[in-house]
Amino acid sequence: MSQQQQQTSPPTARVAQRQVQLSAGDVAGAPVIEVRDLRTHFPIRRGVFSRTVGQVKAVDGVSFDVREGKTLGLVGESGCGKTTVGRTILRLIPHTSGEVRYRGRDLLALGGRELRGLRRHMQIIFQDPVSSLNPRMTVGNIIGEPIQVHGIARGRARDEMVAGLLERVGLDPSYAARYPHEFSGGQRQRIGIARALALNPDFIVCDEPVSALDVSIQSQILNLLDDLQRERRIAYLFIAHNLAVVEHFSDEVAVMYLGRIVERAGADDLYANPKHPYTMSLLSAIPEADPRPKRVRIVLPGEVPSPSNPPTGCPFHPRCPLARQVAAEAGAADTTTIESAGDPVRVLRKCVEEIPPLEQKQATPGHVAACWVTK
Amino acid sequence: MATPLLEVKNLNVAFDTERGQIRPVRDVSFSVFPGQTVAIVGESGCGKSVTALSILRLIPQPPGRVLGGEIVLDGRNLLALSEREMRGVRGKDIAMIFQEPMTSLNPVFTIGDQIAEAVTLHQRISNRQAYAVAEQALRDVGIADPGRRLHEYPHQMSGGMRQRVMIAMALSCQPRLLIADEPTTALDVTIQAQILELLRKLQRERGMSILLITHDLGVVAENADVVNVMYASRVVEAATVEDLFDRPQHPYTEGLFRSVPKLGQKIDRLETIPGTVPNPARFPTGCKFHPRCPRTRQLAAAAPAEQTMEAAAAGERFRVMRVCVEQEPDLREVRGRHWASCHFAENYPQAKPTAPQLDHHRPEVAAPAAAPDLIATAAKEEYKP
Repeated sequence: MSQQQQQTSPPTARVAQRQVQLSAGDVAGAPVIEVRDLRTHFPIRRGVFSRTVGQVKAVDGVSFDVREGKTLGLVGESGCGKTTVGRTILRLIPHTSGEVRYRGRDLLALGGRELRGLRRHMQIIFQDPVSSLNPRMTVGNIIGEPIQVHGIARGRARDEMVAGLLERVGLDPSYAARYPHEFSGGQRQRIGIARALALNPDFIVCDEPVSALDVSIQSQILNLLDDLQRERRIAYLFIAHNLAVVEHFSDEVAVMYLGRIVERAGADDLYANPKHPYTMSLLSAIPEADPRPKRVRIVLPGEVPSPSNPPTGCPFHPRCPLARQVAAEAGAADTTTIESAGDPVRVLRKCVEEIPPLEQKQATPGHVAACWVTK
Repeated sequence: MATPLLEVKNLNVAFDTERGQIRPVRDVSFSVFPGQTVAIVGESGCGKSVTALSILRLIPQPPGRVLGGEIVLDGRNLLALSEREMRGVRGKDIAMIFQEPMTSLNPVFTIGDQIAEAVTLHQRISNRQAYAVAEQALRDVGIADPGRRLHEYPHQMSGGMRQRVMIAMALSCQPRLLIADEPTTALDVTIQAQILELLRKLQRERGMSILLITHDLGVVAENADVVNVMYASRVVEAATVEDLFDRPQHPYTEGLFRSVPKLGQKIDRLETIPGTVPNPARFPTGCKFHPRCPRTRQLAAAAPAEQTMEAAAAGERFRVMRVCVEQEPDLREVRGRHWASCHFAENYPQAKPTAPQLDHHRPEVAAPAAAPDLIATAAKEEYKP
């Protein structure tokens, strides 16, 4: 493993000095969640004694804010670490280093009781509405359990709260007596949302909340989440792979690739003026619902590399179309030959050797990207 | 007019369940012409996959049963063939690829074994030759180092790579029709773009037809020549891809288009289709879409009372047109070469119910010269060594 990959950073010192703006676009409002240089590494164990032989850097230095009543969209392909980010923030997965603050309090340092107290403010909605609901519990108990556990209400009062929640998510209150298998996917997702709302949270991680649903049901659920945000000023971390959905739903968007954020900007800016070649490719790869294409498709070569053995330098360089195009015009001293999807290609030497920092581009303030080529 | 390669005529499929018979495919008719990509688009449970499986006669019987209809491939009715004759058709004339390549590949055999097996089933060639065919097939689908990959097992490959292997296997016997059932649904967008481009390239080179089963309107818009929209076991609209996207006739198709967020068109609120896809065990009477249909509600609001009636769905009561509840519309040519089944599609009353025949090939798709090429622009404007 190279020097660069082994380098871990003392997070706090760096975070304190950091003056880069951590939100962009129309996202005024107090931050509910502040994430600074978060890292989540998983050990790779081999052999009889389970020796640690390496690390999967699922999340490798990620920073962002999620503001009151606003949505931060986190996009990327499978394996980029977006789900791990969401779960690490909620402490469902232990972190390796970095900071997560909820309204100024360091979440990652809290112990059992304090953590449980704060947990009611932070909830999660899962992708799969089938496996995330206990099949042996009635809908009333699924939604009512957190209310009881946190000592908010019991008995009749609890049941009334459950009825109110069911009604709010568009389900009949009589459904409280039924079991999850009696419902369709969209209805189950509504139950999952009612459960997340039960404790009146102000931050919800939505982990691919609509990707398992039919097209005509997706828009219903997205509109419901939107209404709830307006009513209750909930901050969402909206994790998804569908850029069109994220654009529609988010105030700000962060694009992840191999455990890092490669671009972050206000939703409108990101789509109008992408500054990272990976974002450009993702945007161009979405099939348009129009038989006459309006965009030039960029088909990336190869696949996302394994996070256990990421490329040197810019993690995107083996697939980057920009590094190649620019190399064609650059002097021989500035370029080098690499192998990509089995073919030798010339790319910029700098992209192979140094990791580009996430820096402000010539765009709206707060629009940052990690690329050596774009300005 | 050319003769279709495949003609499905009035296909009806039933499943016998404990709670009675359900009908996942009702009166489905469509044609696939040589070199054409025909899409069947619809949501889960609409019957699109059962239609595809019945073409290959892969519906488990019992509980499944083909009640009637014809599936004609090159003049031969597949439903009348013996099981032995049918085995000669599967893989050779018609091949199929599935959504989840992991479950369709055998985990205990190498990739080479599996492709070679498919080849030797249909061609009298030696094992060594079959492996050579397999190696070429892997090369054709863009797999680097095919000689080494032949000896690998499915678990050693990524999802995109496995889908390429599935395509290589399906195409190893040069089928004339490829049925692709949600071929890219399980893949990431950048890999999806690779696979779709590969399918288009192979189709151009070999002139094969593709029956594309999907729920993704974007995939349809970019790849299909002709589209059949299915809802509640029936084709509710059939048209060329251009006509369908320019002038959808069925309110379900309209609703689908409007409920999908589109890149670069920020709107405050998505339109929705109320309610959910009906369960085939409890289909509503009349038009199966009427409980969710915005068109019938709108018309009923302005129509004389005797033409309307009250309906209830999802705990809501509203007025709809009486005919929508009492009579199921059939598929009619409501505009030139554009079929829809809606009582209130333009010209529906005058049109005759017919089976769609659409020998249409879209013009070569290329983005207009004015379309922004982000990478080229960035390379030109941004980079200063």
